[in-house]
Amino acid sequence: MRNGTTSARTVLVGAVTGQARYVALGAVLSAGHQAGEAVVPVLIGVVIDRAVGAGGVLDLLVWIGVVALTFAALSAGFRLGARAGERAVEQAAHRLRVAVTRRVLDHRGGLTAGHLPGALASVATSDAERVGMVNLALATGAGALVGLGVGGVALVAVSVPLGLLVLGGAPLLLWLARLLGGPLERRSHAEQERAAYASGLAADLVAGLRVLRGLGAAPAAAHRYRQASRDSLAATVRAARARAWHDGVLLAATGLLVAAVGLVGGRLAAQGEITVGQLVAAVGLALFLLGPLSLVSWVNAEFSQGRASAARIAAVLGAPPGTPDGTAPPAEPVRGRIALHDVHSGALQGVTLQVEAGTLLGIVTTDPAVADDLLRCLARHVDPERGSVELDGLPLRVLDPAQLRRVVLVAPHQADLFEGTVLDNVAAPVVAGAAAPAPRNPAPVTGGDDPLAVPAVRQAIAAADVTEVARALPDGLHTRLTERGRSLSGGQRQRVALARALAAEAPVLVLHDPTTAVDTVTEARIAEGIREMRRGRTTLLVTTSPALLARADRVVLLDGGTVRADGRHADLVRDDPRYRAAVLT
Amino acid sequence: MSGGDTTGLLPTATGAQVRAALRGLLRPHRPLAVGAFGLLGAATAVGLLTAPVLGRIVDLAVAGRPAGDVTAPALLLVAIAVVQGVCLASGQSLTARLGEQMLAELRERFVDRVLDLPLGTVERAGSGDLTARVSGDVTVVAEAVRTALPQLARSLLTIGLTLVALVALDWRFLLAALLAVPVQLHTVRWYVRRARTLYARQRVALGALQQQLLDTIGGAGTVRAFRLTDAHLARVGDRSRHAVDLTLRGVRLMTRFYGRLNVAEFVGLAAVLVTGFLLVRAEEVSVGTAAAAALYFHNLFNPLNAALGLVDDTQSAAAGLARLVGVSRLPAPTWAGHRGGSAAAGQTDEDAGPPVAAEAGAGLRIEVKGLCHAYPSGPEVLHDVSFTVAPGERVALVGASGAGKTTLARLIAGIDRPSGGGMVRLGGVPVDELGGQVTGRIVALVSQDGHVFAGPLADDLRLARPDATDEALRAALDRVGALDWVTALPDGLATVVGDGGHRLTATQEQQLALARIVLAAPPVVILDEATAEAGSLGARVLESAAERAVAGRTSLVVAHRLSQAAAADRIVVLDAGRVVETGTHDELVAAGGRYAALWSAWSGNRV
Repeated sequence: MRNGTTSARTVLVGAVTGQARYVALGAVLSAGHQAGEAVVPVLIGVVIDRAVGAGGVLDLLVWIGVVALTFAALSAGFRLGARAGERAVEQAAHRLRVAVTRRVLDHRGGLTAGHLPGALASVATSDAERVGMVNLALATGAGALVGLGVGGVALVAVSVPLGLLVLGGAPLLLWLARLLGGPLERRSHAEQERAAYASGLAADLVAGLRVLRGLGAAPAAAHRYRQASRDSLAATVRAARARAWHDGVLLAATGLLVAAVGLVGGRLAAQGEITVGQLVAAVGLALFLLGPLSLVSWVNAEFSQGRASAARIAAVLGAPPGTPDGTAPPAEPVRGRIALHDVHSGALQGVTLQVEAGTLLGIVTTDPAVADDLLRCLARHVDPERGSVELDGLPLRVLDPAQLRRVVLVAPHQADLFEGTVLDNVAAPVVAGAAAPAPRNPAPVTGGDDPLAVPAVRQAIAAADVTEVARALPDGLHTRLTERGRSLSGGQRQRVALARALAAEAPVLVLHDPTTAVDTVTEARIAEGIREMRRGRTTLLVTTSPALLARADRVVLLDGGTVRADGRHADLVRDDPRYRAAVLT
Repeated sequence: MSGGDTTGLLPTATGAQVRAALRGLLRPHRPLAVGAFGLLGAATAVGLLTAPVLGRIVDLAVAGRPAGDVTAPALLLVAIAVVQGVCLASGQSLTARLGEQMLAELRERFVDRVLDLPLGTVERAGSGDLTARVSGDVTVVAEAVRTALPQLARSLLTIGLTLVALVALDWRFLLAALLAVPVQLHTVRWYVRRARTLYARQRVALGALQQQLLDTIGGAGTVRAFRLTDAHLARVGDRSRHAVDLTLRGVRLMTRFYGRLNVAEFVGLAAVLVTGFLLVRAEEVSVGTAAAAALYFHNLFNPLNAALGLVDDTQSAAAGLARLVGVSRLPAPTWAGHRGGSAAAGQTDEDAGPPVAAEAGAGLRIEVKGLCHAYPSGPEVLHDVSFTVAPGERVALVGASGAGKTTLARLIAGIDRPSGGGMVRLGGVPVDELGGQVTGRIVALVSQDGHVFAGPLADDLRLARPDATDEALRAALDRVGALDWVTALPDGLATVVGDGGHRLTATQEQQLALARIVLAAPPVVILDEATAEAGSLGARVLESAAERAVAGRTSLVVAHRLSQAAAADRIVVLDAGRVVETGTHDELVAAGGRYAALWSAWSGNRV
């Protein structure tokens, strides 16, 4: 799961060092706050001694003034320290969130299999947040240690043995807390895995809600969620029990420290080595120390959870890529000639195929698995086990994937649309292309932000018959889509996705069954539109639709994993019984 | 959806509704609650003994007793520490169990209701809102339950007992201490007013972030192919930054809140010290008593701030809770009471209602009469649609994209209600009167949006019939021609499929959908482009699979491939939301109308 460069440790260290300024600021201010809190009981003693006991109104006013100043200082320290600490938390979490998203979207792939989208989203939100919390824990922990220090110094000023007792006992508590933190960390890990599974399951069931409702299977789904929820409940209860005992033991240990101070201090006072006033101060300070000590226990728990979350983030960030990176740029100028040499990959059993630049090639497969594996090779989601796929004479595996995608666009069959208007979706690749100019320059964006000013967008909308889709929508092309376009029908969604693929004007475009959910009349119109718009550019159409194949320059038939026939649609229909069987019903 | 905030698409509960729901959740766990809070109370009470025992040590020193006398109270302190630790640990773990159980029941009820929500509502609200509720809100509420609840209990106990101790010294000390209360009340009111809107906005921002992450991660393949990575990273970045900004505004508000509470602390402490000064001058109390009063008040700082600070946690938890309870309060689905899976999907005639059950064996009649429908703020999609499908008959629904076929299928399956009047009857009973559960059992709709549920393949199939044996699953797969490839999967029926699992082809996904129909065995089946997505090769496989799956049932097949229409008993042609032709294939071809034109376009390609 992990490679050498990304471990839980590097994730944690990166989260902290990335926000070092705010963590340090938070630590200093929080230290000021804690020091102020430590001074308050001492000041109370002074007010009692100098004003209430022996002084006059003026003494009282002066010392209450000092108390007021102390309060102002400790309050400011808390306010600003907490803000700095929380800023460090949120900014670190934000960066991790973006890093996780970046890794998921990495062009080398290799991650989306093996993780539910809901679980990955939870890594990007909850886990990022928990790692970020380590920053606040660090700042607060530093402040708590300073509070302990100030309290300890004040105690040493009262009595050396008492001070040493507290200063020796506190690290012992820290050690004990660390010892108890280990099992908590493991429990926390299990708890989060189960919780992620339960929430991933809920998201999956919600995503499949149409299927469940269509089937009347909602009760069974609810029952299944209940079981996952019960599993999650059992895990969280176990984790909570571990945490409760951790807290309880720490509280008891803290109480034992106070008892020790009472015993030693009491003996010293009884023997006359310290005054009664000093004993009162010592007891007040020991009680004060409970605050920073319990903070230490909180900090410790946050560290444990942060480490568990960091491990999950590291597993995502460090997931090995699906295909190794190439570095070469595509040959200039891009011509768009595609060649397959004896390609073996999955169901492909030695495919050899030359596609001249500018050809509209139809590819018919008798086995859907062949089509899928061919597309995966062309998109370079996998490298062939044997043989090679070439673009203008260069194997895909030596090319820089980002530049390869710019030249060869393999439009996924599954038409995932995104939030935004219909027009936003169609124009998305044009806008993205304009941001990073392609070698083959896309049409210049004129007329400001209006995507319709781009000829390719207008042509693509017409070619894919999105004009007709828009007519049926309340706001036409400006209708907003919800939930990856689920508000559209399958046919509508498919046409918007096709328009998007055409609008990109990639030198090589690979389409997979782009019109399966469209009626035959419309399909014929779209086939003509595709042909018009792709004139002069290479297009591979993986389909068995006669309407599309009839407009191809050339068609090949893949059967049994290899090329079995090659020619024009009309000729193949006439001469090749296998082709006829594959294409005509 | 009575009461509560209905401006959002999914309901949010009011405070009173949340409280009522909590009481309902607590009721079955009363003994656990008593035990949990009893133990926490004991921990607090024992902890409060620390101060007097330390005072006892002071007294011994003042009295000049030998050093050895200190040992006994010190041992008492040890005992206090141990008892307090044990009581806290067990109390806290019981509280967690209580809270987690209530929470689990709440989120299960929530998911029950979500699965019962009208599809249109879910589609408009977006699954991100639901996901944020079921993961984010659940976490916030769980945190509150695990930390806020025990802390609040302990703080309130400490405050109460300390105030009693203060009165015991002199009642005027209590009056002085109460001077802090107006400042505290004002601060809390100031805070709650601002926090409510801010937290609401923060929640919305987090929901939007979650939705964007699901969109981007779920569509990662498309994002990569179209090189939209930068645009999507920017979207995620923007939404994340917006959420971060609101969170930091919340932090500023929270720190100002505590800053004001510091003022209250100072006012109270100064008042107690001045009171001590005056009372000592008047020789009404000793210096020691004044010191004790000041120390007592100082000891109140932490529990007071903790209790008031829980307003913060309570706010976010209440917001989360309101969103969970809001959905949970929707009327219970009829199946929600069923605990067992087999009972939930049980096919007792009693549940189905006698008029329907009587006919169920031979398939049911579908009657569609004068159906008119428009989506909210959209043009009318169906106009006065009427036709009938006889029991056991297979009717094909034909029309261009956007003619309203899918809408009609959803109305017949009872997923949407006709907005413009008209009626659908199944087996003579209006769909409205059947209720969701019965409808779901009588009529199955295979829609274009296939979904393979993440997990073992057998689990996916068992959603259709939870009590099916492996043999029954295999038989169903065999019926739709899927047994061979399922057997060839790495772990057979146990192979993990769906998101993150073994990849299935489009044809295989559709076969799975048909196998579910075979298992669910409803009298009425509606296939909406179930064979369309797979390409014509897969389509042939699926057409025969579908034929076997619907054999003996009343079926309505939404057909884009006219070969399917030609094979049906009868054809209904839909154009722009109206029924324009009805008849057998031969009749319609002979009539030379819409269908004949479509047929010639279709068969023309094939010559």
